Amino acid sequence: MEKRTDSPLPKTDRPILAIVGVVLVASTALFAWSDRQHDWRYYQFAFRGQVAEKLGAEKARGIPRGVAQIWAPELRRADRCITCHQAVSWKGFEGAAEPFRTHPAGPLKNHPIEKFGCTSCHGGQGWAIDTAEAHAPAEHWEEPLLGRELGEAYSLADDKNALLQINCNVCHRYDRETPGAGAVNLAKKLVAEKGCRACHVINGRGGTIGPDLTWVGDKAPEQYEYGRLSGQKSAFAWHVAHFKDPRALVPDTVMPNFHLSTGQAQALAMLALSWRRAPVPADYRPGLPRTDPQTPDEIADEQRMKTGPGAWFVQTGCFVCHSIASLGVKSPAQIGPDLSTAVEDTQSRFGRTVDDFLREPTGTMAVVLSRQIVLSPDQKATAVQKLREAFAEHERQKASAAAASSASTRPATP
Amino acid sequence: MIADQKTRSSKAAPAAPGVHPRRLWSVRPRSDREAGDAVVSNFLLHWFPAKSYRASLAWSYSFWLGTVSAALLLLLVVSGLPLLFLYVPSVERAYASVKDIEFVVTFGSWIRAVHRISAHLMVAAVFLHLVRVFLTGAYKNGVGRNQKRQWNWVLGVALLLATLFLSFTGYLLPWDQLAYWAVTVGTNIASSVPVIGPTIRELLIGGRAIEQPTLIRFYVLHVLFLPMIVGFLFAYHMWRVRKDGGLARADRAVASSEPRPAEPSPTKTYTLLGVARGTAPQIRASSLGSPAATVNSIPDLTRRAAIVVLGTIAAVGILAVFVRSPLEEPANPIITPNPAKAPWYFLWLQEIVTDTTVHIGPVTINGAFLGGVLLPVILLALLTAWPWLDRSPAGAAGAWFAVSRRRQNVVFLLFVLAVLVLTVIGTFLRGPYWHFYWPWQPWPELPSRI
Repeated sequence: MEKRTDSPLPKTDRPILAIVGVVLVASTALFAWSDRQHDWRYYQFAFRGQVAEKLGAEKARGIPRGVAQIWAPELRRADRCITCHQAVSWKGFEGAAEPFRTHPAGPLKNHPIEKFGCTSCHGGQGWAIDTAEAHAPAEHWEEPLLGRELGEAYSLADDKNALLQINCNVCHRYDRETPGAGAVNLAKKLVAEKGCRACHVINGRGGTIGPDLTWVGDKAPEQYEYGRLSGQKSAFAWHVAHFKDPRALVPDTVMPNFHLSTGQAQALAMLALSWRRAPVPADYRPGLPRTDPQTPDEIADEQRMKTGPGAWFVQTGCFVCHSIASLGVKSPAQIGPDLSTAVEDTQSRFGRTVDDFLREPTGTMAVVLSRQIVLSPDQKATAVQKLREAFAEHERQKASAAAASSASTRPATP
Repeated sequence: MIADQKTRSSKAAPAAPGVHPRRLWSVRPRSDREAGDAVVSNFLLHWFPAKSYRASLAWSYSFWLGTVSAALLLLLVVSGLPLLFLYVPSVERAYASVKDIEFVVTFGSWIRAVHRISAHLMVAAVFLHLVRVFLTGAYKNGVGRNQKRQWNWVLGVALLLATLFLSFTGYLLPWDQLAYWAVTVGTNIASSVPVIGPTIRELLIGGRAIEQPTLIRFYVLHVLFLPMIVGFLFAYHMWRVRKDGGLARADRAVASSEPRPAEPSPTKTYTLLGVARGTAPQIRASSLGSPAATVNSIPDLTRRAAIVVLGTIAAVGILAVFVRSPLEEPANPIITPNPAKAPWYFLWLQEIVTDTTVHIGPVTINGAFLGGVLLPVILLALLTAWPWLDRSPAGAAGAWFAVSRRRQNVVFLLFVLAVLVLTVIGTFLRGPYWHFYWPWQPWPELPSRI
């Protein structure tokens, strides 16, 4: 019989292994449980309760559950705010307490939620699904929720919700006035009134005594000198204090003290922080000059055409497609034939007089004259008259050119 | 189970020698033969001997630190696999993908925490394992013939370096401020090597700035090449342990339990699949059978290994629930966080670098070469060569604080202590501008945007 040596090791190994096994199972249960601990589970439960109470259990059952997000691809934002703020696009929760309040309809009209997301306007961390990380000036997140709480922390002078306007003005920076952005509008007025551009370049225009402020909002909070700033150390607080008394923060500055009120200084600080190179597609920014500017020559040409003998054709819009060479009108596009010879052309091309053609146009002109340039019978009569004048001028120029050429060639022939 | 086994073996034809009817090991072997068979026939256990020295299994000898390191490596591989599916190694997407892992992936935050905690603990465990091996003189050859424990020590040093580099390459991947600047500090130290320093740095980060080429380089090293290297070194390390006749403690047990015979006693050669025939270490067979000195590997060794591995997994699993992994602001080359710190296991070097940077009037002597290159290279060379420099008798192998090795143990401990103290200072007591702050002294408030 083969022997089985007894283990000389202490008998405690077995219970220790058993305990480790129990701890392992417990740790599995622990992490599975901890993964479920999220604020949104409670908020979704509470919202279902509210909906059931107001609109009936049927409606409440239809509410989607779980993490939800708005993906705004052009802004590269995945905002999960609607995981808790489920009432955003529901009607009937206008008076409810957050996070169950309906979003005011006004701003959403021009800023559809699927194009803008939430955080591009409101700030906060869209990736997060827990309140603390999503809202708070959380550690390691520099875009806090620009809401009432933060406004109260800064004791904003007027509207406690005004901080949000910083983000409005990231896109609306070239507006003179933006509806609903009172603080930023005030600040823009102050920029003009106080003559900030005397010393600072803003949007490419201004003096060079002070620093260029065009992208001052991108300056990192670490790059400010806080040595003389009492209270909270933040870029916003620095700007407010600096606008109120520049020399108190930077002793050797030449920036004058404008004796601004707290509200004015706060508004200007918001404006300054909004001047940043946020990665926003061009069409999100109203007021941006999106045409290539005309050259001085082009402007002079256009001016001449507008006041010259062909002015009527320019004002009416014919010149968009047609040149009228005899009257000095040159079309930028030259899609249609030159109208100097229209009187002849209508005869040769359509077998009709100009009057007749304008009364009952065919082809492209039928479309243009019915949609884009709608002329009354009187205006049509004027058009015919002007076309005849142009033709007469054309004939006159042709005759004088022929005379000139025959005069210049004659001496050459023996 | 046992009844089932009986019926199966009775029906089956007599097994050929070396062909084992059971594919799984028996938790309760009925005889020593069955215990031995279970080890030999089992792929997972094939690196264990059939019998182990009781003394080698003692908790208080090895603290099982090597097994802890191996368990952490296992955890790292297992937790790294799901992360491979989720992480995107591009500078545009890396940070966002880690945010998604943190916030919305089921168990994502826990998996990332397990990976991170295991990585940090593995650096510590491998280092402590090295300290233990040094203090017990376990790199020394004992009574077995053809032992090459000194080479296993070199493998161990290589494994420590590979572990450090694995951890360092993983540090960059989240692409946040912590990652970016830790790697900046680390690679700048490399560039202080005279003449070829900048070239080394350029090779390391794939350019002159930490950018997409750095990220993809670190990523591929982290998920492919370094794990391969560690896997290979680890297998070789374990193979050498078997070849060298187990832990150094075993030799000691043999030497002390048996009076040295006058004549050569019969020996038994251990081979691994016959590959190593002729060069395998030989241990006197008379000591092997001694029932007081040895135990069956199954279940005594396997049970303790299970306790350590499962215990490590449970401990990391619980820690990962409570210790969240940090993720700072997205990497920003323009803004240097203050203080900018290397990963904690390099902070003793950063501390030396800053302490040896001297300003004499307008002249600054940069300590990066001394603290960042010269000192670590010398220490590493000494560490690697130590088994050949250690002239103590073979009897000192496998004993804690052997009298004949007292002086070198004390010096070694002083170095370890210095590294630990400097690491603690660098990690906990250095604030902005590398100024010294006691734990009760508040750091200056960090500014925010709004």
